[in-house]
Amino acid sequence: MTRPVKLACRHVWKLYGPHPERLVGKSPSLDEIRASGHVGAVRDVSLNIGEGEIFVIMGLSGSGKSTLVRCLSRLIEPTAGEILYDGEDLLKASPARMIEIRRHHMGMVFQHFALLPHLTVLENVAFPLEVQGMARPAREARAREVIALVGLQGREGHYPRQLSGGQQQRVGIARSLAVEPDLWFLDEPFSALDPLIRREMQEEFLRIQKQLKKTIVFITHDFDEAIRLADHIAIMKDGAVVQVASPEELVLAPADDYVRAFTAHVSRAKVITLGRIAVPGVPADVAGTLPAEARVEAVAEQVVTAGRPFAVEREGAVIGHVTPQAVIDVLIGRGG
Amino acid sequence: MTRMCLARAAATATALVLFGGMALAEVESEDPIKLTLHDWTGQLITTNIMAAVLEEAGYNVELVQADYLAQFAGLETGDLHVAMEIWETTGREAMDAAVAKGGVVNMGETGMLAKEEWWYPLYMKEKCPGLPDWKALNDCAAAFATAETGAKGRYLGGPVTWGGFDEERIAALGLNYEVIHAGTDAAMFAELESAYQRKDPILLWVYAPHWAPQKYEGEWVEFPPYEAACYTDPAWGSNPTATHDCGKPFGPIWKVGWAGLPEKWPGADKAIRAFHIENDAMGAMIAKVDLDGQTVEDVVNEWMDANEATWSAWIAK
Amino acid sequence: MKTWPLIWAGLAVVALVLARAVAVPDGWLWPPQAMHLPLARWISAGMAWLTDSAAIGPVTVKDLTRGFARLIEAPYEAARVLLVEGITEGRGRRATTIVPPLSWVAVTVAAVALGHYARDIWLGLIAGALMLYLAVFGQWDSAMITLASIVIAVPLGVAGGLGLGIAALHWRPFERVLSPVLDLMQTVPTFAYLVPVLVLFGFGPVAALLATVIYAMPPMVRVTLVALRGVPPEIVDFANMAGCTPGQRMRKVMLPVALPDLMVGVNQVIMLSLNMVIIASMIGAGGLGADVLESLRRLNIGGGIEAGLAITALAVVLDRLGQALATRAGGGRGAKGNWLRRHPRTVLVLAVTLISAAAGYLIPAVQDWPKEWTVTTKGFWADLMQWINVNYYDQLEALRNWTLVNLLIPVKDFLLALPWPFVLGTVALAGWALGGWRLAALTGALGLFLAATGLWEQAMITLYLCGVSVLIAMCIGVPLGIWAASGETAGKVIGAVIDTLQTLPSFVYLIPVVMLFRVGDFSAMIAVVLYALVPAVRYTAHGLRSVPEELIEAGIVSGATRGQILRKIRLPMAVPMMLLGLNQTILLALSMLVITALVGTRDLGQEVYIALTKADVGRGLVAGLSVAAIAIIADRLIGAAAKGARERLEGGA
Ligand SMILES: Nc1ncnc2c1ncn2[C@@H]1O[C@H](COP(=O)(O)OP(=O)(O)OP(=O)(O)O)[C@@H](O)[C@H]1O
Ligand SMILES: [Mg+2]
Repeated sequence: MTRPVKLACRHVWKLYGPHPERLVGKSPSLDEIRASGHVGAVRDVSLNIGEGEIFVIMGLSGSGKSTLVRCLSRLIEPTAGEILYDGEDLLKASPARMIEIRRHHMGMVFQHFALLPHLTVLENVAFPLEVQGMARPAREARAREVIALVGLQGREGHYPRQLSGGQQQRVGIARSLAVEPDLWFLDEPFSALDPLIRREMQEEFLRIQKQLKKTIVFITHDFDEAIRLADHIAIMKDGAVVQVASPEELVLAPADDYVRAFTAHVSRAKVITLGRIAVPGVPADVAGTLPAEARVEAVAEQVVTAGRPFAVEREGAVIGHVTPQAVIDVLIGRGG
Repeated sequence: MTRMCLARAAATATALVLFGGMALAEVESEDPIKLTLHDWTGQLITTNIMAAVLEEAGYNVELVQADYLAQFAGLETGDLHVAMEIWETTGREAMDAAVAKGGVVNMGETGMLAKEEWWYPLYMKEKCPGLPDWKALNDCAAAFATAETGAKGRYLGGPVTWGGFDEERIAALGLNYEVIHAGTDAAMFAELESAYQRKDPILLWVYAPHWAPQKYEGEWVEFPPYEAACYTDPAWGSNPTATHDCGKPFGPIWKVGWAGLPEKWPGADKAIRAFHIENDAMGAMIAKVDLDGQTVEDVVNEWMDANEATWSAWIAK
Repeated sequence: MKTWPLIWAGLAVVALVLARAVAVPDGWLWPPQAMHLPLARWISAGMAWLTDSAAIGPVTVKDLTRGFARLIEAPYEAARVLLVEGITEGRGRRATTIVPPLSWVAVTVAAVALGHYARDIWLGLIAGALMLYLAVFGQWDSAMITLASIVIAVPLGVAGGLGLGIAALHWRPFERVLSPVLDLMQTVPTFAYLVPVLVLFGFGPVAALLATVIYAMPPMVRVTLVALRGVPPEIVDFANMAGCTPGQRMRKVMLPVALPDLMVGVNQVIMLSLNMVIIASMIGAGGLGADVLESLRRLNIGGGIEAGLAITALAVVLDRLGQALATRAGGGRGAKGNWLRRHPRTVLVLAVTLISAAAGYLIPAVQDWPKEWTVTTKGFWADLMQWINVNYYDQLEALRNWTLVNLLIPVKDFLLALPWPFVLGTVALAGWALGGWRLAALTGALGLFLAATGLWEQAMITLYLCGVSVLIAMCIGVPLGIWAASGETAGKVIGAVIDTLQTLPSFVYLIPVVMLFRVGDFSAMIAVVLYALVPAVRYTAHGLRSVPEELIEAGIVSGATRGQILRKIRLPMAVPMMLLGLNQTILLALSMLVITALVGTRDLGQEVYIALTKADVGRGLVAGLSVAAIAIIADRLIGAAAKGARERLEGGA
């Protein structure tokens, strides 16, 4: 199940301080950076982000997530490295080319919504299209479509200050989708929302993604959120990427104590898939068939209630079965 | 917003066409002659009369508000063309400097004489019967004294910028007085008005032509009459060791103009040089405006109607 | 930290001894002749070069500035045609009107419509009533002349301020150069650069207009910088992600988002432009300013007050309309239908304009408010003044003498007796205590500049007059501010008085003050106090009001009385804001000095004024720069103190 790479970065550095460019050639260690009075916001990061996947970047506050994502979209000029979008090095793109790429291929959602207070919902959503020079009727029609997609019909004439936080972020999402980007950046889009609304928005997000299948770079510092959404997660610490893996691998095989600390309190049922606990062979009395990607938590009730094993299949082929006992073991955190 | 701009642009365009299309065949140049206006009534009247006369002769005239002394910079460069009242007493220095530089010409006297001198309201004569002779001043210094000046009499001088040599005069004549400078003439006359209302002592610098000597009953102090030698030669006058032992100079009020004016508007030059009006006539007009509340415009129109013979001679070919 | 009070106390004792008991040797009291630099001569020569021979390639600077002036003249003339002159044929007294200017009816209706459009009918009615005031009190013609120059000066000031602000935002070195230039533009008295402006831009209304713009623009530049920097970085990121070009980013995102903050700058530009009306009228702007000056020259106090209040009325109308337009909620799109239906107010105003212009030919009263209908309060004011003068002069005189003898003269003598190295040292030491060696270097250098100008005595007199006035202004202003913050009604009433004081030209009250208190320092002090009072009140009230509600609740919960809450919570929290108010009070007091020169003070203001009347550019600018030096020293010291206070509060919170 390997996807073609949509966005990649190679040895990206972003140092803040008096002479970042002098320092970066030497591939300095964290201590060297600090000793020379610099801040290593992003240190030697290389990533591959596959087409159509949700790639989550995680880390504590100040670990460099925002900086990295802004390097990827070149809102911040990295000190060194390469950013490859469909094989094209963005850092070598001219300003005009960059504007072109952003106008048609990128969208971004912001933690604090970044809505324009002087524009209505409709005008906000249509704004990226207006900037491209699209005529008013066409862009408003398109804006109405995306507003409907995020479920805000009837609010087109409102101003941002007249909306709740969740509604405002829906506008932010609609706006970033208006240009039909194929790369979608979301920088902690739900952090400013209440837990209940956050949950609702996550579902909404998954629903939209199911429909649109964008390549997504999603930032969060909430591990629960990450495992709910991610195909892959990159964990950052002090500007460097510590581990890139699927949620399941992170939990089962954390690269170091830092990652382990992140994953320690996570209920394993949320991340472990049936594929991982399936045992070969298929007993005769199976109650049904379940996909290998399904998470234990999601199917536990079904399996335990049935009281009989289920066959597990991946991409149409049956690879084994799971027993209710194996599911219960995962749920109560026994074995693995 | 755009609508407003368009309307404005259209208005200017129309205005330009209308102004540009005007032809006045009989004058040398249609460019407006710029006369300066200051902030005292007499000057406004003089200038408006001159403007009216020039217009009768067919010239275009523009009246520009300008500072009395700062205007010389504009007269030198030809930004401004005529200043109708430069007083011997206050503007002589600046006028001479500008004429010496070459950009400005003296266009002769206006016919009015500037008088400046120490002045007191008539009721002060009761407290100081020796007046108006200056020798009486010392005897009644106490009558003119205030808390600030102590035993000395208080003399309210003009703004420092007017000069006037009052400190020198006091020293040379041995007067027991102190000069307190007002910052502007408005402040000076405000004090006079205030004191006059209360019939309180006051001794101050008053000049004419002005409405004050018309409004308030009073007299000028009589110092030994001014002569040029008094200001330059210590031997002159009662104090053989000091200059300025005399009164203030009397002097004409001058007209000045841009040096290029005679060449560009010879006719106007002639008319401006011919302009002549006397103190009494001017004093009466100032009183009408400042005391009776008529507008400058009305007073000027009245004068123009009554003196047609006079001014038509100025512009006769 | 504990040592500083001791050091200051010690210095105070030394100062007293120096002033009272010790005879200071020559050259130590005032800077010796040898120190004086011929600054005035240098500046005059530089200016002469600039105006006479400086050239960029084949074009002289003067041609350039003259060309610029002509560029501005076109819209200005158009505004005059519209508001003042109409379209005429011929000039001067032979001119006949072909199309009249907008009638008073049309302008008043337009003001009402604009108010209604911007907010509601009440604003419209207020605007209309103020316009009507202009007509009823016979100020119409002059007010329209003033308005014509304001409607050009304000957009110029705003656009210029925006332009400079944006340039400084994008280009750091420019900001570094601009910042001190703005300081100077704000603190050098206008009189000091009037003559060069006249020479460069020609005599007449345009030069006056430009002087107004120079004076009114600096706050706009500063506000622009702060407002644009204050745009949340996320929004800037969004603009970039949306694919905005730099131009689009500025026009469509940054400026609209920063608009509410920018309006503070616009408000300042309007207010300052109207503050300049009087001075502008001295150099050719005419209008209300000229009316004020002329009235006062004739001691027509009522006339001066009426014309002065007309300036206030214009300021209020422009300011309120501007604020309302900026904050207008977007309800305008509601109306549907053709153009006529969508723009009912525009249609109304156009109709009234045309009808009143036409009707004006038949009924002149529609075009020009008839003279017979005008009202004047001249007699009332004259009688009031006379009544006070005749009945209360002795009491007022006693007050004046008491203040002179017990406050003004001792302070003046004290300051004039201090040796200059001592003053210089104290200033540098204060800089060091409040802001470290950098500030000490700056204040020391500025002090040294004062010593080198040869105007030390005038500078000390300036310090004395300003110091005493600021002290009194704070003593009156802070309690008023506390009172204003204590309740809605008090706040409104005091606010209105403060607004009036700020826009009413000081000339208006200068002459009555002289009538009651004679020329001299006491009258000057009253004028300065009245003008400089405004920020003391405003900032105190603002500081008190913006104390977080939580803190006050905490106080109430712990059983504090109202007085305790004020003393222990509100006032300490408001200290940084009040220090800013003090700072502004000092700057305003300094800016009044040139005006108080007109009642016979002998300070730097008088020096500037003398230089103006002698058209001595160098002398004027040196004196002006000296005022600026004092202002900047005060500004930086208090700024540092305010910063310290804020840090202490935040560190403690
Ligand atoms: N303009 C800057 N100048 C100097 N240091 C900076 C700058 N921007 C970011 N940093 C530093 O870079 C580091 C990474 O910051 P970044 O905003 O990327 O963190 P983050 O992971 O997004 O944190 P959060 O979860 O709080 O948003 C931080 O230590 C921050 O202080
Ligand atoms: Mg972040």
